[in-house]
Amino acid sequence: MSSPVIKYVGRTTNFKGKTLWEIVGSLKNYGVGRLIVRSVFERYPEPSYMKIVKVETCPDEERRRVRVWVEKTFRGRTLPKLTEIYRTSYKPDYKLIPKDEESKLLHVDHKKTEVILPNCIEMPPLMKRFIVKDHEKRGLEVVKDFVLPLSYKHSPNRVQRVAIGDEKPTIQFTMGLGKPASPSLYEGIPLEKSV
Amino acid sequence: MNFKHVFLKRTCPMVTQIAEAHRKPRWLPVAKSKIYRIPKRPVISTEERLELQRINNNYNTQMRAIRRFYHEEMIKERSSLQSASSEMSQRLEAEEWEKCVQINDKWNSQVAAEREERRKVELAAMEDFALKRMEVKDAEMKDKIAIASEKIREQKELCSTFITPETLEAAIDHALANPTDYNFAIDLKGNQFPGRDIPITYEKNAEKTNV
Repeated sequence: MSSPVIKYVGRTTNFKGKTLWEIVGSLKNYGVGRLIVRSVFERYPEPSYMKIVKVETCPDEERRRVRVWVEKTFRGRTLPKLTEIYRTSYKPDYKLIPKDEESKLLHVDHKKTEVILPNCIEMPPLMKRFIVKDHEKRGLEVVKDFVLPLSYKHSPNRVQRVAIGDEKPTIQFTMGLGKPASPSLYEGIPLEKSV
Repeated sequence: MNFKHVFLKRTCPMVTQIAEAHRKPRWLPVAKSKIYRIPKRPVISTEERLELQRINNNYNTQMRAIRRFYHEEMIKERSSLQSASSEMSQRLEAEEWEKCVQINDKWNSQVAAEREERRKVELAAMEDFALKRMEVKDAEMKDKIAIASEKIREQKELCSTFITPETLEAAIDHALANPTDYNFAIDLKGNQFPGRDIPITYEKNAEKTNV
C-alpha cells in the first residue's frame, strides 16, 4: 500500500502541529501529566515545554478550544504559577512529546548564563545639548550625567533580569546603530564613523 | 436627436468626478473573483530578518527611554507647579508678571498719545463742518427774511386802498353809485352781452342749438 499523499491547500502558515484539543482529546485522562511543546518556542536554544496539570472541555460553540492549565517552562525557567491556556488553544501549533523523549527534554543541560539588562542609557547627542540649553533657560541646575532611565515590558516570561542600582549589566544599549547582527548586509559601508 | 445634440455640445461636464480609493467597503464579503486567491508571502532572508529585528528592538528601546524621560519630567514640572510653594517658580512668575505689566503700560501710553492726536484732528474737522453748516443756514435765513420783508412792503403799499371804518360810508356810497353786474353772456364770436334784462336776439342763420 502506497503512503497517503498529503496535498495542502490555501494560505501557508508558520505554525506546525495540532490544536490543543486534537492532542488532549485523544489521550487517556485528557493527557494530564504529559508534556506538550509549542513549535514557535522551539527557536530558542533553551528548552521550553509545558506539563499538563488540568483540563476542562468547552461548550460546543468553542469546539476548537479547550481550557488547559499547564506548568510552563519557558527558556529553561519554570514559572512559579500555573498558566491557563484558553485563548491560544485553537492554534495548530502544539506538539505532544512522546513518553520516551520526555526525560531527554527534562534533563537537558543548558548553560545558565544570566543576562542582566541595563537600567539606563546615554542620551542622544542632540538631546544633550538641548537639555543643557533648556535648563540654563529655565534657571534649573546644570545636568551632569546625561543618562535616561530605561524601562522594559513586564512579562512573566521574561528571562533577562534588569540591573538593580549600580549593578554592571551584561548587555549595553547605545543610541547609535550598534553592532550589526549580520555584517554581510553592510559590506562596503564604513560603520565606525556613523556610530 | 435634439436631446443628444444638447448633450454633445455641453460646455461643462454634467457629472463631477470625485477622487476615491477604488476598494470595496469593509463590510462586504470577499469578491467572488478573489475567493481562491492566495497572496504570496514575503520572503525575507534570515540575515535580513535578524538585522531588522535587532534594529527595531534597538529603536524601540531608545524611544521608550526618551519618552519615559520626558513623561517623568512633565509630571515633575506639573507637580512643582501645582504645589506652587517653590520660591523659584513664584519669583519667576512675579518677574514675568512685572515684565508683562511694564510692556502693557508702555503700550497703553503709546496708544493714548496716538488717540489724543487723533481726537484733536477729529474735533477740528467737526468744528469746521459745524461752522460751514451754520453759515449755510444763516444765508438761507437771510434770504427768507428778505423775501418776507419784500412781501410786507407790498402789503403795506396795498394798505392805503383798504376800507377802514372811516371810509366805510364813502365806499358804500361809491359801490351803490357804481353797480357792477357780472352776469353776461358770450356768443360764438366772443361778443359780451352784459345785464340780465337784455333780450337775446338770434342772428338769421344761427340755430337754436348753437347758443
